[in-house]
Amino acid sequence: MGVEPDKIVVQIDEDLAEIAPGYLENRRNDLKHLPLALAEGDFYNLRILGHRMKGSGAGYGFDGISEIGRAIEEAAKQENRQGVEQGIADLAAYLDRLEVIYA
Amino acid sequence: MPIPDHVLVVDDDPDIRTLVGRLLEKNGFRVSKVADGKGLQQLLEKSQPDLIVLDLMLPDEDGLVLCRNLRSRSNVPVIILSARGEDMDRIIGLEMGADDYLGKPFHPRELLARVKSVLRRARSLPGDVQEQDANATYRFAGWMLDVPTRQLYSPKSKKIFLSGGEFALLRVFLNHPNRVLSRDQLLDFSHGREIEPFDRTIDMQVSRLRRRLGDDPKKPSLIKTVRSSGYVLAVRVDRGGESHGSDDSGPGD
Repeated sequence: MGVEPDKIVVQIDEDLAEIAPGYLENRRNDLKHLPLALAEGDFYNLRILGHRMKGSGAGYGFDGISEIGRAIEEAAKQENRQGVEQGIADLAAYLDRLEVIYA
Repeated sequence: MPIPDHVLVVDDDPDIRTLVGRLLEKNGFRVSKVADGKGLQQLLEKSQPDLIVLDLMLPDEDGLVLCRNLRSRSNVPVIILSARGEDMDRIIGLEMGADDYLGKPFHPRELLARVKSVLRRARSLPGDVQEQDANATYRFAGWMLDVPTRQLYSPKSKKIFLSGGEFALLRVFLNHPNRVLSRDQLLDFSHGREIEPFDRTIDMQVSRLRRRLGDDPKKPSLIKTVRSSGYVLAVRVDRGGESHGSDDSGPGD
């Protein structure tokens, strides 16, 4: 069985099979909150959201989420609007392309 | 079944609380989770965890201050788990009394290994506890051990002679009621005090102590054997009138 070439395949511990979907759902919710915070110029909350993604992503097995979170946190610290926009776009693309395999 | 170790997770991120809670519960720990410093204080008023996993960036209080306050009033082991990954944070965290520091993001198995390691270290250093109980009186199952005089009294108030090794061993058990202690731990905990490691084995010491306590060696009710693990003092212990254990719930033979 092949994998679509544009997919990001992540294999994570089956012990996390019950909680990983909820974690990803929370990140999809972040995709609603991040643009709102950016529209309000709320860089403090953007920084917190990025910080949390950075701290939690790799723990669940999603290293890409930690990397994106780190970029959002750094951009928010510098009140870099374009940087935050790029981070939001990267998160949307990552979640869209993600395929999780539990093993 | 032995009583599971109780770990308190303090983190404002619900995804981290879920992840760490899941990891620890799957590995036999009892877990409580709170989101902030206020929750930590409330839990500590009604419970005494065996270890605390503490985030630094909490909404209401700085985790470093919490760590310092915890250390000033308790010996509970603390592992700081923080995405504030600067070297200085690490150093200050350890200086504030944390037993270990793990940066986020972290590998769950590394956290699990550190939790076990810190608990193991905490238990292999009972010196503080033993120094602190120098004036204590322990009561258990009708028995009383008076530490300053090294005197053991039976439920009928009869004085029972204890050798130095038996006294040291009983004191270790009374410091760790309802907790399975391996032979290595019993040796480590007593080593350098009374037990002469080349003279007697722990098994012999336990056997003698059971006899002193009138515990049937074939079906002991106080110091029980846990197959392949060690021994447990399966009884409620009160120290200086203050509860130091829980009701008899230890494992059987």
